[in-house]
Amino acid sequence: MSKIIAAIDNSAASRPVLAMARAVALALDASLEVLHVVEDGDETARAAAQASGVPLRTLTGDPMAVLSTEMDAEDVSVLVIGARGRPAGRRPAGHLVMSLATRSDKPIVVVPPQFQPPDHLSTVLVAMEGTPGKARALQRTIEVSLSAGLQIAVIHVQDENHVPSFSDQVQHETEAYAKEFLARHKVAASGIRLELRVGDPATELLSAAQSEGADLVAVGWPHSDDPNRGAVAREILNRSPIAVLLMALS
Amino acid sequence: MRQHSHVTARVTGRRSDPSALEAGGSKDSADPSLPAELDRRFEAIVVWNAKPRAVPPELIALEGIGVPVVVVAPFSFATPMSRLAWSTTSAVAGFATEERGGADDPLVDMNDDDFALGETEDVLSFVLRELWKRGVTPGGVLLLIDGAVELPQLPLTGVLRDAVAAVTGPRHPPPPEGVVSLTGGDPRLHQVLADQLVRRRRGSLPEFDGPPGWSLVVEGSDHQHERVHASLLTVANGYLGMTGAPVSPVSSQEPLVLVAGVYDGEGAETRLLTGPGVFKLTGTRSRDGSSAQVKRRLDLRSGVLYERATVEAGTVESVRFASLAQPGTAILRVRCPKGFRARLRLQPPAEDPVHDEGRDGGSCWMRVAATTGGIVAAATQTRTRAGARGSTLDRFAVYRGDPDDLPERSSLIEDLARLSHSGFDRLFSEHRQAWAERWEDADVIIEGDDELQLAVRFALFHLMGSVADTNEAAVGARGLSGTGYRGHVFWDADAFVLPFFAATHPPSARAMLEYRWRRLSAAMMAAQDGGHAGARFPWESARTGYDVTPRRILDRSGRVITVRTGQLEEHIVSEVAWATRCYMDWSGDTEFALGPGRRILTETARYWASRIRLEPDGLAHIFGVIGPDEYHEPVDDNAFTNVMARWNLRQAAADPVDAVEESERCRWLELADALVDGYDPDTGVYEQFAGFNQLEPLIIEEVAPRRPIAADLLLGGDRVARAQVVKQADVLLLYHLVPDEMVPGSLEPNLRFYEPRTAHGSSLSPATHALVQGRTRDFDRALESLHLASRIDLDDLTGTTASGLHVATMGGLWQALAFGFAGLRPHHGVLHVDPVLPPSWSALAMPVRFHGSRVRIRKERAQLTIDTSQPIDLMVGSRRFDSVSGRLELRRRGSEWEPST
Repeated sequence: MSKIIAAIDNSAASRPVLAMARAVALALDASLEVLHVVEDGDETARAAAQASGVPLRTLTGDPMAVLSTEMDAEDVSVLVIGARGRPAGRRPAGHLVMSLATRSDKPIVVVPPQFQPPDHLSTVLVAMEGTPGKARALQRTIEVSLSAGLQIAVIHVQDENHVPSFSDQVQHETEAYAKEFLARHKVAASGIRLELRVGDPATELLSAAQSEGADLVAVGWPHSDDPNRGAVAREILNRSPIAVLLMALS
Repeated sequence: MRQHSHVTARVTGRRSDPSALEAGGSKDSADPSLPAELDRRFEAIVVWNAKPRAVPPELIALEGIGVPVVVVAPFSFATPMSRLAWSTTSAVAGFATEERGGADDPLVDMNDDDFALGETEDVLSFVLRELWKRGVTPGGVLLLIDGAVELPQLPLTGVLRDAVAAVTGPRHPPPPEGVVSLTGGDPRLHQVLADQLVRRRRGSLPEFDGPPGWSLVVEGSDHQHERVHASLLTVANGYLGMTGAPVSPVSSQEPLVLVAGVYDGEGAETRLLTGPGVFKLTGTRSRDGSSAQVKRRLDLRSGVLYERATVEAGTVESVRFASLAQPGTAILRVRCPKGFRARLRLQPPAEDPVHDEGRDGGSCWMRVAATTGGIVAAATQTRTRAGARGSTLDRFAVYRGDPDDLPERSSLIEDLARLSHSGFDRLFSEHRQAWAERWEDADVIIEGDDELQLAVRFALFHLMGSVADTNEAAVGARGLSGTGYRGHVFWDADAFVLPFFAATHPPSARAMLEYRWRRLSAAMMAAQDGGHAGARFPWESARTGYDVTPRRILDRSGRVITVRTGQLEEHIVSEVAWATRCYMDWSGDTEFALGPGRRILTETARYWASRIRLEPDGLAHIFGVIGPDEYHEPVDDNAFTNVMARWNLRQAAADPVDAVEESERCRWLELADALVDGYDPDTGVYEQFAGFNQLEPLIIEEVAPRRPIAADLLLGGDRVARAQVVKQADVLLLYHLVPDEMVPGSLEPNLRFYEPRTAHGSSLSPATHALVQGRTRDFDRALESLHLASRIDLDDLTGTTASGLHVATMGGLWQALAFGFAGLRPHHGVLHVDPVLPPSWSALAMPVRFHGSRVRIRKERAQLTIDTSQPIDLMVGSRRFDSVSGRLELRRRGSEWEPST
């Protein structure tokens, strides 16, 4: 059985992280372990874990190093973590999240502090840029989500530079384009719908997440510290009101 | 390392080309004592004797299994046929002579007084040209020349260099370089011929030996592009289409099979039914992935798809085709490595359930049922041991599609037996010859642009494969290469596809019109339902002829939107009439003209007469339509719709059916004269529709990051509707379709006005622009548009080639060359020719058929050559030539064309 680890800080933001971690563990039929790297106390973290009925394991040390080590464990499949740390923290959690995502191959679910996760996940929105490498990373998400019985909506946003050259008869063109897009990215399973949008990728993704009623937005994350890479994912992390699943790109 | 997959649009195919795809027969040595040059399968054998003598029995046997053979021998009419010991019933045997000669069924009619051959090379060139017309390329010919024949012209030059020549018997001096010397006299000759027989009996594979510019190569197989490649490599014969997915187990992709005109479903859900697959080699594990070692070559001249793949057991080579000679049949030959299993098993259709299936002795069958009608397929296979290298497998398949009744499998038994009995080689030869005959009337030659040349042949090949020439032809937006657009028939079949056939293969154009003709009553019902008279042909048509345009769909954002083209894009009524006129003008088919043709023109005119509103001010209008520019809807007085309706009314009035009263005819003419067309004499520009000039003057050329671009996606549908952004040629298309309806000299101001406002968001737009830019001699832009149109599928510019090829764009490409560059136009029984040549081309040549005459036009710099097989009237530029027969050579002097001498 695989294990989900929820990394919580000593703030109120730990509650949605725990709730999301429970929902993810339920969907994946995985066990859940809650971790807290002690920096400035653990009262709030303990209270949150106790309220959730999940034992808390506290650790000490550099959060980045500690959590990396924990993620490397063979049985750990997903890390669930908060989007932001307390303003008084030594390092903003956003930086921690990005560092962990850059270092690890494993999926990371990033939960905004104001997010209210559902008890059961129902819909995942998968953002596909359309390049083969990125598609491969997200195929796994789709496969896992499908096996967990979740609804999948794939979204492909084209910015101004990638608007199609031609669109003959809209009543057929969209169908033909979508069919090939899904086939090309090996996500042509039944029950998956492709939403095609044109515009600013982050804005359109978040708009689609809202209209689809998604619980989770899955995006690819580059193995790179280069701030010029993963710009869309960074913007979504900054702006998303719902949980974001970062999938490492090869 | 990842195997890259790409389509090469390049000149390939010579035997010296290492990328050439040679099939297994090429090195399947049957007789190791033969010289290396002869260690291959040849597609035709030419035996040149110095004197009349008995034809070798091996040659007769080769002819008997379908191999084209030619005997060249000096003999006169007095030469008894018995001396040649030849089967006079031979269908393919032929004779040529330096003197005169004859045969019951000769390669050429030797009794023709004009037939005369002189030098050696003339004889051989003649023979090779005749074989070329039968689909055999010089590279596939073996010339066996008697050592006693005088060969003063050797070494061979020109096309003769591509053939393999061998001199048999003693010769002094020795044969020159490049010609094989076969010592040993007659026994040696028999040995060579026997070797060719043995190869056939062992099931040798033909090898690609085509000349440059005639094939499309796809190397590798990757999941990203596989469906696109499969569409590009489709082999079809107008009745049956099979996409070019690998048959070898290097991919789980299977060829998609479609049978023309067999639809499933009702209303907007009507779609082409998919048929059972017969070619996939099952029984060995498939290997998907980037490491797949596979190479495919589509021979455009012969309609044959070659494939070579590396699998665990070794190399699998195959040759497949959908027979053009016998539509409804498909043949596959495979060279299997030892240990490679390939059981005969039909594959379920790609998108439809199996109705029933079974086995009959050594054959399999499967049926797929549609709402009405369906498809049945049956296949059988034979296996021939080919020594230690494995075996050869021949698979024969027959398909029957019926739009109304599910065919019985028993209907295929006889055909399947006949097919199997004919054998691969004869079927291959017939198929190749059928394609060669089609190319004789269709090939466009562009000298100076190899890339465009290949792309044009690619387009013409798929056009010819998409349309049947008997019965009726429902030509969907993707032909027989995919299920995109559900196989629905649009206006582009009539306005873009049909003209190519009207001018090159009239039976196919006739079949397309038969499709419309048989649905005239449905069109009349539709008009009546809308409160109108006449015939209202549907925007999207399928089996019944009633409109099948989806009314509500999910757009790209998942929102439900209303589609109004089915209700409002009425200009298709005129396009059906235009296609009718186009066919009649090219073919001179008076029987059709006096029957269905006249009736279609009349009923479409009646529709417009009832649709047009005559206002008190005396002006007539058509309100609430969608023009070819679909970014604006609905609009009033769309110039395209109105001018086409005006043309339709005038055409019908000029020659109505007998039942039309004079008062009705006069009414048509009055309405035609009263119809507004938006022309502004001050600017010389037609307003695309009422109010267009008041829209936001947005020049898409200036604001878009590039063109072509789907402006409705870039800017949003609401924005383009409020702006002067045009999807595709609208007003400009009129200058091609009905130039006589346009104000003389107004093309250039309209082109200057509309082109910068056109997003070219329709795949039809570039070709139309190439056509009108060609007429205005704007060669830079014309060539840019032409190249763009030629690459739409080859480069998958729409992202939808996987769902099938854009056959209307292909037709548009031909029209741009024929009407825009060659300046062809049939008009009142006269063929107008007014060619222009871009500076980068050295020549443009194309054949057409006009009133039964084969016409060949070749334009070089200042020279124009026109060959006609029967007398026709020509208008070259502004000069008329009556009853031209044979060759007319002209030179440009100033603005006029004058006979050369």
